[in-house]
Amino acid sequence: MKELSLNILDVAQNSISAGATRLDLTLTEGESGWLTVVIADNGRGMSPEFLAKVTDPFTTTRTTRKVGMGLALYLLAAEQTGGTLRMESTPGQGTTVTATFDRKHLDCPPLGDLAGTVALLIQGSPELEVHYRHTTPRGEAELSTEELKAVLGDDISLAEPEIFTWIQTYLSEQEAQLEGAVQER
Amino acid sequence: MTVQDLATQLNLTPFHLEDGSRQVTGGGYCGDLLSWVMGKAPADGVWLTIMSNVNVAAVAALTDVACVILTESVTPDEPLLRKAQLQGINLLGSSLSTYQCAAALSRLS
Repeated sequence: MKELSLNILDVAQNSISAGATRLDLTLTEGESGWLTVVIADNGRGMSPEFLAKVTDPFTTTRTTRKVGMGLALYLLAAEQTGGTLRMESTPGQGTTVTATFDRKHLDCPPLGDLAGTVALLIQGSPELEVHYRHTTPRGEAELSTEELKAVLGDDISLAEPEIFTWIQTYLSEQEAQLEGAVQER
Repeated sequence: MTVQDLATQLNLTPFHLEDGSRQVTGGGYCGDLLSWVMGKAPADGVWLTIMSNVNVAAVAALTDVACVILTESVTPDEPLLRKAQLQGINLLGSSLSTYQCAAALSRLS
């Protein structure tokens, strides 16, 4: 995948497929250029046996084909920068996927459209509680669907096109400020 | 043209030749970004790449290419070779660059 946001979207879809009701997406960038991406859910989790082989591309929960590339490509993307991918999972409690990337590495893909990714995730699963946080030395972008729902009430779905546009614009502005801060340095 | 014909004429190294009689009818594709190749490599074609990890076997199985050629003297790592054997994927190697190998392939077509 040409952008990390696409990998993140792909892996987050696994959480939704696993019946998660809460998803925490946390990106943390340090001064050193290392980025840590944590995708944590409260879905059905995996057995230790399945967890041990989950990054094998021939391991998948799909029934339509025998190949599942999401985590395999995510692992590859991390390792190509000298980073790592770690997975922890407890059946019945959830799964946490932690990947690290050296953003200074030539083979590190760009982050891509994080705002659009988060907006798509929320629109596609409006009942999912999403907590997004992107922390950098320059500042922070953050969004919580819990807070949005508290403001909007129960009658307005987060899948509404106007809400999608608002989330995308709101996060895009925050992300742009982080990038702007980079350019000003 | 069969995969065996291709291997002979381009002097390819057979890391794993499961079915040399398989016909190559889908042309070729050069690419290393696996998610991109997944949507582009033609079935029954030849895929040229410098990638040599286990995901190559998965993409080859998914796209149903006739064979994979690892170019630039790249050799498969152990997990890839094992998966190629398990999944019956024709996996070949060339000392040519991807460009040179594609050009030679084109002249055979």
